[in-house]
Amino acid sequence: MQYKTEKKAAPGRGEVEVLSATYEEGKPEGEDAGRWRQKLQSREDKLKYLQTAERYWYGKEWFGSEKRKTPA
Amino acid sequence: MAEVVKKSIDQATIEMIAKAKTDECNIVFDRAETTKACPIGAEGSCCSMCAMGPCRVPLPRGKEETPEDKKKRRGVCGATAETIAARNFVRKIAAGTAAHSDHGRRVVSAFLDLAKGKTPGYQIKDEQKLLQLALDMGIKIGDRSNEEIAIELGETLIREFGKQEGELAFLKRAPLKRQELWRKLGVAPRGIDREVVEAMHRTHMGVDQDYQSLLLQGSRTALADGWGGSMIATDLQDIMFGTPSPVASQINLGVLKEDEVNVIIHGHEPQLAEMLAVMSRDPEIVAYAKSKGAKGVNLAGMCCTANEVLMRHGIPIAGNFLQQELSIVTGALEAMVVDVQCIMQSLVSVAQCYHTKIITTDPRAKMEGAMHIEFDDHHAAEGAKAILRVAIDNFPNRKKNVYIPPQKTDLIAGFSHETINYLLGGLFRASYRPLNDNIINGRIRGVAGVVGCSNARVTHDEVQLTMVKELIKNDVLVLQTGCAAMASAKAGLMVPEAASQYAGEGLASVCEAVGIPPVLHMGACIDNSRILIAATAMVKDGGLGDDISDLPVAGAAPEWMSEKAIAIGQYFVASGVFTVFGVTWPTMGSKEVTNYMFKDFEKIYGGMWAFEPDPIKAAQLMIAHIDKKRKALGIDKSRERVLYDMTMRRQLEGA
Repeated sequence: MQYKTEKKAAPGRGEVEVLSATYEEGKPEGEDAGRWRQKLQSREDKLKYLQTAERYWYGKEWFGSEKRKTPA
Repeated sequence: MAEVVKKSIDQATIEMIAKAKTDECNIVFDRAETTKACPIGAEGSCCSMCAMGPCRVPLPRGKEETPEDKKKRRGVCGATAETIAARNFVRKIAAGTAAHSDHGRRVVSAFLDLAKGKTPGYQIKDEQKLLQLALDMGIKIGDRSNEEIAIELGETLIREFGKQEGELAFLKRAPLKRQELWRKLGVAPRGIDREVVEAMHRTHMGVDQDYQSLLLQGSRTALADGWGGSMIATDLQDIMFGTPSPVASQINLGVLKEDEVNVIIHGHEPQLAEMLAVMSRDPEIVAYAKSKGAKGVNLAGMCCTANEVLMRHGIPIAGNFLQQELSIVTGALEAMVVDVQCIMQSLVSVAQCYHTKIITTDPRAKMEGAMHIEFDDHHAAEGAKAILRVAIDNFPNRKKNVYIPPQKTDLIAGFSHETINYLLGGLFRASYRPLNDNIINGRIRGVAGVVGCSNARVTHDEVQLTMVKELIKNDVLVLQTGCAAMASAKAGLMVPEAASQYAGEGLASVCEAVGIPPVLHMGACIDNSRILIAATAMVKDGGLGDDISDLPVAGAAPEWMSEKAIAIGQYFVASGVFTVFGVTWPTMGSKEVTNYMFKDFEKIYGGMWAFEPDPIKAAQLMIAHIDKKRKALGIDKSRERVLYDMTMRRQLEGA
């Protein structure tokens, strides 16, 4: 993911570069409205997403009720 | 007009039924009046399994059956009414499973061709889903190319159809407790084709003659559909054409355009529809349409193919099952392109009243009097263009009796399991937790899947719509697929604004916070497998029990008509879901079989069947079941929230 930065004035330090907001602004429009899968670009990102978002099946440290009763 | 109103509550449908009458064109609504349903077949009391019959063993009408009467209710071979009802039911499951699974097999075949580079028109659109399935099937990922992974995945999945021993691979996606139950009951399917073949064998004359044993095989066959053929089809289609995400579009006959070449794609398999969606915008095709006096090509969907291209391309839907003939009755349809399942044979005779070309495309489904242009995945673009040219050439042949009803409604579709998970939590914390939390805190009472067909024996769309409105009014989130989804979409229930208008206060507040409609479109009938996965995610997230049968959920097919619906219902029941069907119930000829499915199934599977043609009563049955499950989970009433201090915690630990 590409992080955005912005420059801000800091007391005693002049202008500093700080991490900017990472949320999507406003309402997406056009053909891309609603499409979210392409936000994950690399294979590594996609696999990591599977392990976290779809942790119900692919997470190694899932804490759901099933795993408590049936340790992995 | 009053007589017409009884046939549908959809204004576009009502207008087109009247137009068909004016045009002297015989349609399904007319035939439903002239061809009465056979009362003996309807209750599953007719056995035509051998040439000593057909034997009719109906329940006596207007009086209680005596034990002596019951002894006489047998076929020539001695088969009891119970065996006959169960056999007929299991054969419906086998046919439904075969339909979904043959669709699945065709998808795997196309997927393998794609992976091997034999189908230049297609590509892997969702790498993530490919990786997900590779993880499921234990296929090495590493640095291998997508195509290498896809070939191994396709070859592994195609074996699921012909597997003779073991279990279907996707069963392990189900909650652990459910998997154990299936193994204990002996209903874990071994291979998709094997279960269909065994179901057909066991229902042959003189084989399995114990209704309970027959119905166990029915469950095993149905599970081979839901957790097998259907699930394989859904997942591979996602890899090839993209996992659905929210998309805006429109629905109803008003999406047809007077000044464009109208082409409807009707059926179930999305390969051709995908290519038509792309090619209908091809400059060469658009120019050809203009050369014939049209402004362009307007592609619309019908039935479940419509759901497929809607969810992935936003292609509008012209209507559901009972509107297929009516799209021709507009007089503005140049071609109806069909593949498999739910295609009425009468399309050809209806088309003869107008100028529409009926084009069959699948070697498994030909129609007398229709034009056949066989679709070949290897030359998909050329095939799609050839079909579109036929439609364009037909544009100048439009007759004068053109009328497109103005009705069309906005909808948002594309709520796959993956998208629901994402919408509830976002990219970094995607989760079903907010759904479970809101069920636990009571804002959402439960979740219902309302699926299935439309049926000319009841008022078109009315039964589904009444049920869905009753459910959301009572804070039940509704998930929909197939033609049932289209009924809600036409009535405006599939936009976020519907939450404040139709949903109860609790459900509306959650829908507004997340920005979703109270009725979610999850896809085609094959995509009922997505509902199984969503239910499993709810279980695995925790807090609502250990199995699907613990969840406050219910299912329904209020206007069902096809054997596929029976297969779907049975795999939901065998997965632990209370499922209500409307219209008619095909085992009514045997009280034992019906009671077994309506009562005893709950002890066996945790889910059971019910029949209730009245949509309000059916919705109330579902709500009562949801409330029963809420009570069992201890979430039926709000509890006082107590902030524990350290002393209280020590006391708790010491207890």
